[in-house]
Amino acid sequence: MTATRAHVSGRTDVDKAVIMAGFARMDVVALAVATGLILGLVIFTATAVLLLKGGDVVGPHLGLLAIYLPGYEVSWSGAISGAFYFFLIGSVLGFCIAVLWNLTHFIYVAMVVVRSAWWRMMAD
Amino acid sequence: MSINGSDRQINQALLRSVVKINTAMLALSFGLLGGVLLFAVTWMSLLRGLPNPGHYLNLLGVFLPGYNVSATGAWIGFFWGAVVSATLAALVYRIYARSIPDRVSELLERGISDDDDLGSVMIFDGKYLGLALGLVSALGLIVTTNSLVLRGTADESVHARLLVNYLPGYEVSVQGSLIGGLELFVFTYLATILFSWIYNTIVSLRSKSSG
Repeated sequence: MTATRAHVSGRTDVDKAVIMAGFARMDVVALAVATGLILGLVIFTATAVLLLKGGDVVGPHLGLLAIYLPGYEVSWSGAISGAFYFFLIGSVLGFCIAVLWNLTHFIYVAMVVVRSAWWRMMAD
Repeated sequence: MSINGSDRQINQALLRSVVKINTAMLALSFGLLGGVLLFAVTWMSLLRGLPNPGHYLNLLGVFLPGYNVSATGAWIGFFWGAVVSATLAALVYRIYARSIPDRVSELLERGISDDDDLGSVMIFDGKYLGLALGLVSALGLIVTTNSLVLRGTADESVHARLLVNYLPGYEVSVQGSLIGGLELFVFTYLATILFSWIYNTIVSLRSKSSG
């Protein structure tokens, strides 16, 4: 009897752990900051690589980002302003991803709870 | 599937359901984001009022049939942005979901109590996330490059060739796409490891400060 109860408890723990791991919510602040920092680093590196390579005309195509990011250019100061812009864009993106993930899961769980309550009520 | 060699088994049906639901939700979220993003970028290019709007953005039409920088093109872009983003997100999650059994092991080692909140905070497994994002981005580069080769416009693809600035050895050819794909995989993998570390560190700091 005790062994059976322990087996059932272990089974429940594993199932609960699967749901905890699979349905974990995202930390909105952490995802926003991490995405912003990585995207900032990417554009800084992309600009720096072209600057270090040099040449007569440096980064004419990457410079087109100025269409969307006023003030950006392929220069060291541009690399800083680009990193700042991409940090902002990445943060908004990370924020949206985390909010959408959490929201869709919240809605899904709420639907499951309401449906199970409905069926329980119908059974009674 | 046993957990860390113990006799405790993961309920495969439950695991499959969780992965299926998460894949659908992530595809939905990223599909929406991708569609809105391409729609917004197209309109930003249009509203600048230049004589030749979207000179470079129009090149996306090579990969997204029907797309161009116009009011109608923005809606076609919304459609393609949603389809491509949702597909990529689903693919990434399918690979990343292989980390769930490891996370389950960690949770069981820590111990599960009745008080544990089902909505605990997500911790990223950098290795699996790096593998997923790295593989998908490398595959994306290989597929797009080879589609240019198959179209017979490889020699005219001057813009794609600019990637050689960041991926040494890359060129618009089958061999070049494989070299570029491998390099992109490595860069994406390393960036994702860093991303996961930053995210997990902030989560840890925030959980400590909140008590």
